[in-house]
Amino acid sequence: MRNPLISVENLAKRFPEPSGKGELTVFDDIWFTIEEGEFVCIIGHSGCGKSTILNALAGLDEASSGVIIIDGQAISGPSLDRAVIFQGHALMPWMSALENIRLAVTSRFPEWSKAQVQDQCEKYLRMVHLDGAHDKKPAQLSGGMKQRVGIARALAIEPQILLMDEPFSALDALTRGSLQDELMGICKSTKQTTFMITHDVDEALLLADKILLMTNGPNARVAEIVVNTLPENRSRDSLHKHEQYYPLRNHLIEFLVTRSRELASEAEGALDGRQTKVVRLDETKPETVTNSEPAPLRAVNE
Amino acid sequence: MSITKNPYDPDVTLGSGCSCGSHSSQAEHDAAEATTSDAGNESTEDILVKSVETAVVQAVFGTDMARRNFLRAVGASTAAAAIADVFPLGAAKALAAEASAKLEKSKLNVGFVPITCATPIIMAQPMGFYEKYGLDVDVIKTAGWAVSRDKSMNGEYDASHMLTPMPLAITVGSGSNATPWTMPAVENINGQAITLASKHKDKNDPKMWKGFKFAVPFDYSMHNFLLRYYVAEHGLDPDQDIQIRVLPPPEMVANLAADNVDGYLAPDPFNQRAVYDGVGFIHKLTKEIWDGHPCCAFAASQQFVDEMPNTFIALYKAIIDATQYASKQENRKEVAKAISPKNYLNQPETVVQQVLTGTFADGLGGIQKVPDRIDFDPFPYHSMAVWILTQMKRWGYIEGDVNYKAVAEQVYLATRAKEVMTEMGLTPPESTYQKYSIMGKEFDPEKAEAYAASFSIGRV
Amino acid sequence: MKPTLPLTARAALLSFILFGATVLVWQLAIESSTGTAPNMDPELAALLGPQAKGQSAFPAPMAIFDELVRHVTDPFYDAGPNDKGIGIQLAYSIGRVALGFGAAALVAIPFGFVIGMSPLFYKALDPFFQLLKPISPLAWMPLALYTIKDSNSSAIFVIFICSLWPMLINTAFGVGAVRREYLNVAKTLELGPFRTAWKVILPAAAPTIVTGMRISIGIAWLVIVAAEMLVGGTGIGYFVWNEWNNLSITNVIAAILFIGFIGMVLDQLMGRVQAAVAYAD
Repeated sequence: MRNPLISVENLAKRFPEPSGKGELTVFDDIWFTIEEGEFVCIIGHSGCGKSTILNALAGLDEASSGVIIIDGQAISGPSLDRAVIFQGHALMPWMSALENIRLAVTSRFPEWSKAQVQDQCEKYLRMVHLDGAHDKKPAQLSGGMKQRVGIARALAIEPQILLMDEPFSALDALTRGSLQDELMGICKSTKQTTFMITHDVDEALLLADKILLMTNGPNARVAEIVVNTLPENRSRDSLHKHEQYYPLRNHLIEFLVTRSRELASEAEGALDGRQTKVVRLDETKPETVTNSEPAPLRAVNE
Repeated sequence: MSITKNPYDPDVTLGSGCSCGSHSSQAEHDAAEATTSDAGNESTEDILVKSVETAVVQAVFGTDMARRNFLRAVGASTAAAAIADVFPLGAAKALAAEASAKLEKSKLNVGFVPITCATPIIMAQPMGFYEKYGLDVDVIKTAGWAVSRDKSMNGEYDASHMLTPMPLAITVGSGSNATPWTMPAVENINGQAITLASKHKDKNDPKMWKGFKFAVPFDYSMHNFLLRYYVAEHGLDPDQDIQIRVLPPPEMVANLAADNVDGYLAPDPFNQRAVYDGVGFIHKLTKEIWDGHPCCAFAASQQFVDEMPNTFIALYKAIIDATQYASKQENRKEVAKAISPKNYLNQPETVVQQVLTGTFADGLGGIQKVPDRIDFDPFPYHSMAVWILTQMKRWGYIEGDVNYKAVAEQVYLATRAKEVMTEMGLTPPESTYQKYSIMGKEFDPEKAEAYAASFSIGRV
Repeated sequence: MKPTLPLTARAALLSFILFGATVLVWQLAIESSTGTAPNMDPELAALLGPQAKGQSAFPAPMAIFDELVRHVTDPFYDAGPNDKGIGIQLAYSIGRVALGFGAAALVAIPFGFVIGMSPLFYKALDPFFQLLKPISPLAWMPLALYTIKDSNSSAIFVIFICSLWPMLINTAFGVGAVRREYLNVAKTLELGPFRTAWKVILPAAAPTIVTGMRISIGIAWLVIVAAEMLVGGTGIGYFVWNEWNNLSITNVIAAILFIGFIGMVLDQLMGRVQAAVAYAD
């Protein structure tokens, strides 16, 4: 097996306690990999450190220990190879939609001519269906449009890896749905390697190839990695018609509702980060999945 | 002119280039008078020649002190011969004359505070007295005495209008850093008055002034010292029985109108202005307290006098010339017209005219005629400085032993004034010390210390 | 009845009526307070001013209007070092403000940037700013005169000092308050410190910085009048002092109106700049 594009190894984040005595461990012993072209979602409750992991991947935050290896290199700091779509759109409000994208494009391709830059910007605005909003300032755009600009900005630099921190959480359901569809289309067609944080189980099942489940913090761990066994050509409309949909969904929801908490309260060492369980539901009946009896599941060690 | 003896006279202070000290060279006087037929038209060449000698002698000796000591030791003629041996004075003089570098600087800034005391300094500009001596002078209006002092001390003004006590105070370091200052000429004598608010028309006796608030233009002013003297003679302690505050003169009138002060002892035109505006009356002209008292001064730093002797002399002559002109009654109306505009005093002409001609409304419904209400006499008597110092001592502005005469002679350039005035064909007084009678009490400059301690009200 | 005029026009009309009414009341009040001159010896009357003869000390609006017209029609005359036209005096004042304010901006904005970027500097220097900020700018005047030894430079220095703090504090605050996510975007785009400062921090903090500048120029214009009254020579402050010296209330009021007008223009200019750099979040 060839090396994965991203390898997160033994990542941990600790803060000094506010009292000054001892340390608070947010998460520890995090190991996972992302293959080239893979779409990975991470699900977990607030406080488990998902955003910190994403920021560490982006190079904006530094882990207390562990390394992130991308393309065989341990990363140190942000890079134009990794684009981030922030939870708030994070557009510069004094720049028009086009200028926001241009800032990114000129940083990525400093040698490009003005015309090339302009073409690139327009291409990506078109891709997110914002052709008519070039000169609008973010304040003049709706929430969904703003996030489209954010997506266009991230994709316009043609990143190796796309990092998304709950990109649609602030949007209404309709807007969110259409944006999810578009994002899926773009990522599928460009085989974009993507890492995304979400709270939305359906969003994860629609977009992700595999889903990391995190236990509650502090001391959060990746409890298991669920492989999305829904067919490649799934869409939002037909998702729920697939036989695997409800078992997967129930598995994820049950994890969020009960297991994330129970696993967190178990003694340290119950989960071994290096041996994170990989769960596939298509080879067994979902009803048999329980916390205490993992045997029926096919557990594969990476 | 041949080599003169003046730079070799140990009793003469160098800097001017004129030799006519009173002791040694009467011949020199005659020579000077012979070459200068017209007063004020003294040949600049004479000054130039003397200044070259002075410069050479100063260069040889470095300091004036060294020169004096040397001259005392070897005698003037020996010194002259010695210097002539080593330095071709004649050639140097010829050179300097050719270079026409008579004035070290011709563009000067002279500061003034807009009151009638500054009349000679101001009028010399519109009436061409500065020009006559080859100077291009800007007379710059200044907001108050403290600013005038600061601007003079930091060199923005080459010379300025000051109050007669200020050069003394600056020199002894009272109220500022001690900096050697000189007062070559008095601007005016008399010219102040005590003005009271109209509501006090019935309180003509100072004994009724207990609790009054008075304003004076500056701590180190004749105004302050005369007011203190006047009330003290009437049995009031100026620090206990009345309040004295410093106010810029223009604000005195407004404060009098607003009832913030009961009166003031101020320079004109602000006494007359109170009458003109109907807010006060003139209680007493300071002339009636001490006839002929000094008021304002023409002052310059010792540095200016030393470094630019020719410029200084030219300026000095312009001032003396203007002062002489202003002292003539028949010229007063013309002077009033020249100094009233906005660029100078910025006052109604009638107000200035009343001050200068001495025919004025007193604010009590009468018209008074006092021709010498203000007068102009440039001579800086050392005795004036001594009197001022006794009052500074009396009211605690200076402490410890005061060498009255030494300070007076350092700052008030009476000897110099004698020289310049003589050169200009004027007749300076014989002695630089006078006795004064102030409100009937005699002041003898020889008994300054005793005088300062002789008052029943005082801090000594 | 329905209003037939747009709001702006009605407001303008009301402003005009208020102005007219004020002036009218003023004029009438002056006229009524001007009593008849007492029977006075003509010789004495010639020596006294109008006030001593019962006229109001306060000028009527028409007198002020005449004075304004006189100044506006001949703003650049030069009758010697102590008497120059109002245009020249205003130009001197504006020049001093421009110099002092410009120098303060050159110091405050880069320095404020550094302080804003560094929480350590911010915390360490804040006590000094808090101490220095409330000092009346004029309190620096004697110190400036003593050390700089030039009254014109001292006046400019006083403007510099009073303009400095609002700009410095606002710049530091504005820079320090730039939203984290903008900085994160800059980091992920590898903008580098200079492009980050120029493309992200400066525009993000610009509204706060310009607000500081607007406050500063307002203070500077207030202070220049006082400073020039103190040091004299030239400028609108000197003009006021010179007229005050002559107790010419008419001219003092005329000067006040000019001062107000220029102050308004300066404020409006900064307002334009403020609008240009403002952004909606």
